[in-house]
Amino acid sequence: MKDMITKEKIFKHSIETVWNAISNGKELSTWFIQADFKAEKGYHYTFTSDEDGCVPITGEIKSADPYTLVYTWIVEGTNTETTVSWVLETIPGGTKLYLEHSGISKYEGETAVTMFDSFNGGWDNCTNKLVSYLKENVHAG
Amino acid sequence: MQDKITRIFKAIADPTRRDIFHALVIASSTLSISQISNQFEITRQGVTKHIKTLEEAGLVDIERKGRERFCNANATPLKEINKWMKFYEQFWDNSLDNLDDYLDGKLS
Repeated sequence: MKDMITKEKIFKHSIETVWNAISNGKELSTWFIQADFKAEKGYHYTFTSDEDGCVPITGEIKSADPYTLVYTWIVEGTNTETTVSWVLETIPGGTKLYLEHSGISKYEGETAVTMFDSFNGGWDNCTNKLVSYLKENVHAG
Repeated sequence: MQDKITRIFKAIADPTRRDIFHALVIASSTLSISQISNQFEITRQGVTKHIKTLEEAGLVDIERKGRERFCNANATPLKEINKWMKFYEQFWDNSLDNLDDYLDGKLS
């Protein structure tokens, strides 16, 4: 068991297109979570949502040089600072994304379970609404 | 409380401790320090040290009977970490699927 989650995903789009989607606040708000976000080192961002049960997430941009984006990730109500990093690489026919979320072991024991229970479904709710929005509005166009 | 899960990770980061913990999980009864020592060809002192780290993480319960100590595995603390890991695994999978949909939709 590692104290880290890693994901790799390939997109059939240019590195510039994927970079904009993960670093531009307006685009993040569309597919991820409602965001006050600027890809500038030192910027304090907020992921939030008007929906019930969506716990805000805050953090600081540690690095934002194309095509590496690193920021801290703090769930409201916890003092635990985890780190999320996105690294993009051009590959034939598209872009490869390496996502890493580390520091999860720092979550406090029992508080962790309580927090987990309280926003289990919460975030899904936040993002699923965006998916339906996309399906209705963006895909239709 | 802050360090609880950190201790669990530290305890299971060492391959020998993982092996000892695994042996305790599959053992049908509690194992004494001597039994563990024989099974792993580590000195009693070495086993005692590993067991102490596992005990501090809450992964091993120790029962003292006379001079001997008997160890029993307790996997409950691992469930807490597992819950967090699972939650974020799912969260990132969903999010990256959303990103994929978004990128495809935007350019269609």
